[in-house]
Amino acid sequence: MGNPMKILVIEDDETTGAYITDGLRQEGHSVDYIDTGNDGLVQATVGQYDVIVVDRMLPGIDGLAVVKTLRGAGQKAPVLMLTALGGVEDRIEGLNAGADDYLVKPFAFGELSARINALGRRPPVSDEPTVLSARDLEMNLLTRKVTRGGQEIDLLPREFALLEHLLRRKGRVQTRTMLLESVWDIHFDPQTNVVETHISRLRAKVDKPFDTELIKTVRGSGYRIDVE
Amino acid sequence: MTRARGAIFRSTPLRLTVRLIAVFSVSTALSFGAAYMIVERSADAVLREQVLQEFESYRLERRQRDLVEKVIEEITTVPPRTTIIDYRSDDGNRFSNVQGLPSLGGLSIVGASEIPLSEDQLADSYLVVEGRVGNGQLTLARNRDHVEDLFRIFGIVLVVNLLPTLAIGSVLGLWSARRARDRVEAIRGTLREMTGGNLEARVTGLDDAPDDIADIGRAVNRMAVAQAASIASLKQVSADIAHDLKTPIQRVSVLLSRLEEAGLSGEQAEIAARARKETTGIVKTFQSLLQIAQIEGGRIEERFTRMDLAEVVAGIVDVFEPTAEESGHKLVLVRDGPAPVTGERQLLGQVTANLIENALRHAPPGSRIDVKVGAKPRPFLQVTDDGPGIPKEERANVLKRHYRLERSRTTEGSGLGLALVSAIADLHGAKLELGDAGPGLSVTLTFPEA
Repeated sequence: MGNPMKILVIEDDETTGAYITDGLRQEGHSVDYIDTGNDGLVQATVGQYDVIVVDRMLPGIDGLAVVKTLRGAGQKAPVLMLTALGGVEDRIEGLNAGADDYLVKPFAFGELSARINALGRRPPVSDEPTVLSARDLEMNLLTRKVTRGGQEIDLLPREFALLEHLLRRKGRVQTRTMLLESVWDIHFDPQTNVVETHISRLRAKVDKPFDTELIKTVRGSGYRIDVE
Repeated sequence: MTRARGAIFRSTPLRLTVRLIAVFSVSTALSFGAAYMIVERSADAVLREQVLQEFESYRLERRQRDLVEKVIEEITTVPPRTTIIDYRSDDGNRFSNVQGLPSLGGLSIVGASEIPLSEDQLADSYLVVEGRVGNGQLTLARNRDHVEDLFRIFGIVLVVNLLPTLAIGSVLGLWSARRARDRVEAIRGTLREMTGGNLEARVTGLDDAPDDIADIGRAVNRMAVAQAASIASLKQVSADIAHDLKTPIQRVSVLLSRLEEAGLSGEQAEIAARARKETTGIVKTFQSLLQIAQIEGGRIEERFTRMDLAEVVAGIVDVFEPTAEESGHKLVLVRDGPAPVTGERQLLGQVTANLIENALRHAPPGSRIDVKVGAKPRPFLQVTDDGPGIPKEERANVLKRHYRLERSRTTEGSGLGLALVSAIADLHGAKLELGDAGPGLSVTLTFPEA
């Protein structure tokens, strides 16, 4: 699943560390696992990693300090911070320290994996496409028209935004939380299944009248539009 | 500046100085007054003695002729400014150095205004003695200006005595009041900052001043240090609890996922799935509790920005609309212009989401949920459903309870919904009210002007 990456995991809890490491290895990534902040900092500076996963609370140098030091040293590898704290303040603190994404414990592996994949392959910010497509579906960002097999699909603005987000990240899993955060800027956890409803509404227009399903459900993780 | 000016009048040392100066001035004036009265009285007594002696010298004239001669001589030589002499003999002749003098009465003091002569020829006041001498009525009125002058002299002495004292007292008082005011302001400012959440605020400019206000300042600083330490340890404790509990919860959820992946039979898989669902519930409750604690103890206000509450609410309503439709509710956004507030966007979004979710849970399918947002008279958010509502007597309980021990029982699920709403409302200085929508419940949050 996805391109193999070189990942460093800095996590002091052995069970969690082993779980993350095993899972990522099974996905084909090459993983180094370190259990203290000090060693992790050294390892992060010498090794060339595609993604670094850091627990925020570590014995010795804590996760925030690790990230700050790395960024201070010019290390640009994307960092995913894991944390037991999940307040608004904590997230902002983590992002300010230089982390690229923030995941609150406990998390499902699917969530972690999806976020690592998103970090490792950030789309280049270069030329903006005007047309996004998947199989026979086309989305014109200028005219805001969506067609599938030549047939025009009428979408509400919020449905358009959701489909655009999935199309731009074709081939990558988007979890419910990732969608909430990036499509609706919601950084808290609603008690109701709002994302599922939006997806099913979108599917009813984009997938149901056609033969093949574009928006796939990835069990235990989220949703994905496949690269054909 | 108006604040500082207001503060100087409220300053205790200044008030004390002003009061002291006032008391001093009044008592000085009173004692001068008393002294003046005594001196004036004795001066009048001396004067009266002199006039009576003079009066007596007229009486000594045995013969009426000699008496009249003496009177005439005096009238021609003595100006009315010094002494007014007036003699009316019984045979109708009148000898006087003031024409048409009215009767001035026995022993009395009269002013120049009672005498029919231009003022420049007269003294300011006279001491009058009147009585029978020979075959007639004699009136002697003696200039008492030197007694009058006493008043001016006393006045000048009083002013000369009082002015420097007042000047020095005021300057010193103002100076010390200003000094004290600055210190008190420093303490007040520090306390205000600390209440606002800046626990690093300290009273500065105390040096080693030995006065009591500086002592209070130093005590405030000691208290601040102690409080910062205890809050730091409290934060550390909650961070520790969060870490120490979440790590094992993370492990449990890891183990449960592994169990599910291990290929369980139908029933076993169902139990594992239920256990995982319960774990998720624990996490959500725990997360809400942590969040409430952070909102109540944190410094989130520092990140407040001005924003349009109506925009935030509209965004959340847009997210929940399909979900509401699925559950058979009609979610309606009623927007009345912009609603500028100062706050934290995510928390305000969460409040809106919690209130909508609350209504979705409690109002039966088919009911309508109105989300109103506006700025009149003050920025507000109101979520109204036409469900069963909450009986009036229980409404107060919901608000009272949710904040304390029994709060978890008042909300279904794990969200601690209203407790969080209440904590976020408090943080924003917003008023939370539960009302009757007849039928149904209406929850209103009224914000202060941005």
